[in-house]
Amino acid sequence: MPDLSSRIREVAEELFRQKEVELIIGFEEGSMPLHSTPCFIRNEQEVERLTWNSFCDNNLATYLVKRPEKVAIIAKGCDARAIVELIKEKQIPREQVVIVGLPCRGMVDRRRIEAELEAHEILEVDEQDDKLTLKGDGFTKALNRDEYLYPCCQACTHRNPGTYDILIGDMVAEKAADQYPDIAEFEAQPPEERWQYISDEVNKCIRCYACRNACPLCYCKECFVDKTRPQWIGKTTDTNDTFIFHIMRAFHLAGRCVECGACERACPMEVDIRKLNRKLAADVKELFGYEAGTSLDQAAPLATFRPDDPEDFMLGV
Amino acid sequence: MSAKIIGKDDIADLLDTLIKEYEVFAPVKRDNLVVFDRIHSGSEAFLNYTTSMKSPKEILLPQSETLFTYSSTDNAARVEVPSGEERPRLLFGIHPCDARALLFLDRIFNEEEYRDVYYLSRRDAMVVVTLGCIKPKATCFCTSVGGGPFSTEGSDLLLIDMGEEYVVQVVSDKGKGLLENRQFEDAGEDELSLMRKVTEDAEASMAPKLKIDMLKEKLDKMFDDPLWDLLTEKCLSCGVCTYLCPTCYCFDIVDETEDSGGERLRIWDSCQFPLFTLQASGENPRPTSKERYRQRIMHKFSYLVDSTGQIGCVGCGRCVTECPVNLDIRQVLTAISRS
Amino acid sequence: METEAKDWEPKIVAFLCNWCSYAGADLAGVSRLQYPANVRVIRVPCSGRINPFFILACLQHGADGVLVSGCHPGDCHYISGNYSARRKFALLKRLLEYAGLEQGRVEFSWVSASEGGRFAELIAKVTEMVKALGPARKLVKK
Repeated sequence: MPDLSSRIREVAEELFRQKEVELIIGFEEGSMPLHSTPCFIRNEQEVERLTWNSFCDNNLATYLVKRPEKVAIIAKGCDARAIVELIKEKQIPREQVVIVGLPCRGMVDRRRIEAELEAHEILEVDEQDDKLTLKGDGFTKALNRDEYLYPCCQACTHRNPGTYDILIGDMVAEKAADQYPDIAEFEAQPPEERWQYISDEVNKCIRCYACRNACPLCYCKECFVDKTRPQWIGKTTDTNDTFIFHIMRAFHLAGRCVECGACERACPMEVDIRKLNRKLAADVKELFGYEAGTSLDQAAPLATFRPDDPEDFMLGV
Repeated sequence: MSAKIIGKDDIADLLDTLIKEYEVFAPVKRDNLVVFDRIHSGSEAFLNYTTSMKSPKEILLPQSETLFTYSSTDNAARVEVPSGEERPRLLFGIHPCDARALLFLDRIFNEEEYRDVYYLSRRDAMVVVTLGCIKPKATCFCTSVGGGPFSTEGSDLLLIDMGEEYVVQVVSDKGKGLLENRQFEDAGEDELSLMRKVTEDAEASMAPKLKIDMLKEKLDKMFDDPLWDLLTEKCLSCGVCTYLCPTCYCFDIVDETEDSGGERLRIWDSCQFPLFTLQASGENPRPTSKERYRQRIMHKFSYLVDSTGQIGCVGCGRCVTECPVNLDIRQVLTAISRS
Repeated sequence: METEAKDWEPKIVAFLCNWCSYAGADLAGVSRLQYPANVRVIRVPCSGRINPFFILACLQHGADGVLVSGCHPGDCHYISGNYSARRKFALLKRLLEYAGLEQGRVEFSWVSASEGGRFAELIAKVTEMVKALGPARKLVKK
């Protein structure tokens, strides 16, 4: 990842000096190797905290909802799309956000690295261009960051912010449009196998709702999970209820999910959440020609219709 | 009884014999994660781990359990309480921090005025075999909250990994009972001195203790301090910290009714969820993540000290490694102590 | 739990919009058209009112099949309710079948107020499809 930290700090300083914003939300050094952490700064003296590296994975858009002040926010491609959706859903006015876009080469999957290194705890990480040098008690290991990206980053076709006010860094090469090969592969399996896979995954779920809380587009004051009159699903880890929780949370994100992976990263049990979200993204694209966060003007797919919308799924006699 | 030696290869056999008498729970590997589960054969146990993802508290306090079922017919209503455990439980291979947490939970669920029958049906006759931490993680901070990698609190037998074998320290009579009638060699002077070296090295390798001597005193004066706004701004109120925490115990009680019957369930709840303090009027005394996170810290490091004499934290570090935004409790506690 | 007894009959819940499909069903009734008695009708003002949770709740609590029927595009009493519904249903049906729910358990259709005969045929078709699938087991809450 190119070292853009100093450029970010310059931009931040300028924004404060011009009194453009009252708050800047970015990333700073985490308390452990392989972590960066969200950072909120309010004056020029604090800009030194801002950093940029291969561990800036959080989707900061989640902090924008109903903010009172004018705010600048560091946004990768996926974050910028989430911000666009939030603006369209009137969760924050466009004029209140200064989007500082950063083209992203993907973020590094620390869980995968930790799993590979098993019992060897990583105590230090050094990042130079594409190389990560990990150091621990009695070992040093060098890795190529591009081989350890999060699954959502590997599939990403929107690495460059589509909407931004300030751009830091050069645009990066984008993959060709997502054809969702993983979805096609999954759909080729017999229904029983798909059912079993999803049931096994949701059986890991402990109903902590970290996925929901980490998601920038899950901002409902009362989530369907907590509704009691009527109660849609139970609150235990019963497979049936949990299955419906995941199906319906995905459904509520149809055309809104930007596949930033915040849900998967937050999940302590490593449930394969995006298996459902990606199916909806693929269908929304195919049926309605819509991709979340790619346009400030295009109406959300479930808030509009065309008289000639597809009907082939319907039962005619 | 003096310390014994058990070869690593003999552990699976030992567990197999214990499985005949107890319901044995041990760490198991599920994909990338270590969690605790009932095992039916000794070979399922996975002991080469530092921290499990979920804590063993779910063996005493499951994420959801039925308190009773109810049903009604034309003239009668019936309430049935699930029957208790048939065999005592053996919790094998937890770390000393998690064992200390069990003692803490006892202060909540097994005290003079309140004895929780559901908790006790599992806890009373439970035997605990702990694994000493020969390689504490950088995120472990048990020594800062009164624990240690080889603490025997809450344990009946403590196993210390020496490479090919474990030294077994007998901590209680229950532990002694487990070893009786089994042919295990006594630990010799060589083994004991190697054990001392291993434990000393492990203790020396731990991160320095947190500087939190006057923490409670500070907390008690800081309820309205603006520092809380800064410390908690990034918190998502996701609840992962509370779910994975071995000492968090808050629960909700819900009824699930279908037609003319149903069940009353106890499920995990979290003070980090907005609904935790949402009142029927719509008023919420803890409306943002600031108030909720402050509550977490105050509860664990001040209120519980007043009510139980113990800090409600054993320094296991799960909340540190799993927080999606890297809100590090160690940094929070240090910042408060320093303020 | 239902067992597949030889005389097992599926339970089908049909959400019918008040202005078109329900009227169509009513017409089938007054015309004395025969159709299988497996269907339980729930009248809603518009197919657009259907919350996906209604469909899931039916499957959780004993329904073997769910049918949602509304006005033909362009004829909605509330102008565009059925258009919204069409989009939602397209996604929901695909998602549920992707997750492994058998094709044929959840179906959608348009039936107008004058289509009594069509309604009867539709119910017959849906009943036959669901009967072939057997009792719903996948989303049933135990």
